[in-house]
Amino acid sequence: MRADRVRGHLDGLLMAVLEQGPLHGYAIITAVQQRSGGVLDLRTGTIYPALNKLERLGLLTSSWESVGERRRRSYRLTDAGRRSLAEERTAWREFTVAIGSVLNPGAEPRSAI
Amino acid sequence: MSAHGRQTGPVEADPVEKYIADLTAVLHGPARAKARMIEEIRDGLTETVAAHIHGGSTSTRAADDAVREFGTPEEVAPGCQRELTIAQARHTAWAVALTAPFLTACWYLTSSTASGQDGLMPRAAQLLATQLATVVGAIALLAAAALAVTGTLARRLPTPPRLPLAIAWAGTTAGVAMGVATLTLTVASLLATDWPLVALAGAFAAVSHAVVAPSARACRRCARLVRVL
Repeated sequence: MRADRVRGHLDGLLMAVLEQGPLHGYAIITAVQQRSGGVLDLRTGTIYPALNKLERLGLLTSSWESVGERRRRSYRLTDAGRRSLAEERTAWREFTVAIGSVLNPGAEPRSAI
Repeated sequence: MSAHGRQTGPVEADPVEKYIADLTAVLHGPARAKARMIEEIRDGLTETVAAHIHGGSTSTRAADDAVREFGTPEEVAPGCQRELTIAQARHTAWAVALTAPFLTACWYLTSSTASGQDGLMPRAAQLLATQLATVVGAIALLAAAALAVTGTLARRLPTPPRLPLAIAWAGTTAGVAMGVATLTLTVASLLATDWPLVALAGAFAAVSHAVVAPSARACRRCARLVRVL
């Protein structure tokens, strides 16, 4: 899938894979690819500024951990991040229902508001 | 590298190191934030190379593939620079927000003491210092607002794209005001009767100028880069 289609949802994807526990950058990318069955093929380099932004917003925290002689930065979802992820999920569900109703008018009708 | 069947001369760089060098050359921002971002990217590339080698690639092929998957520096740099520019804007805003209140208090203290003791500081210098204190105080309020807007408030409000440029020029104005204050207070200390107090205020203005002006200059550069990259 083209990277620009993912861009608007990148924050939600990153927070979703961190929901189960802390991960470092490369593990986050691998998790996104695995969960999407390889369909979401992100440009690896684009996630680092996105992780920085989420940390600045207080949605993630990070800490350095040592792996052999190397250090790597591990990210963890904060409580605010969990709330934001829940909001992202709700917004995504509403969006897909609305688009689905338009693209597939014969399919199951959308419940009345 | 020749062991992997590829012609390599002594001048050919490791693709990962070349990538890091290219990215390092185009990115600008606070030294610590930039170093952290580059270190993370290097770590990500190293992990990707290791994963490819684990999957059966040669080290040269693994490095080439890792760099290709990462995206070219032209693709990756704009996002990194946006974050570094916001980091630099916050750095400048902190510099102004922290120095301005002390400087303003110092100037008002000098002015009020002067009004009580005739001849402590020339009247013209008092008026100029008061005007400069007002300007820097207003900029400090703007800096505090910018820190809020680029911090947790950014979860709800989109960060205005021109905010870093606004902070850069506000910081520049504060830096100029601090420079003028340094000059004014230095001259005033030569004419004042109670010169140590005025000289102390002048020294504080000089330190503030030395902190704020370079940060504002770096912020202007980062804000320009965001528009170019």
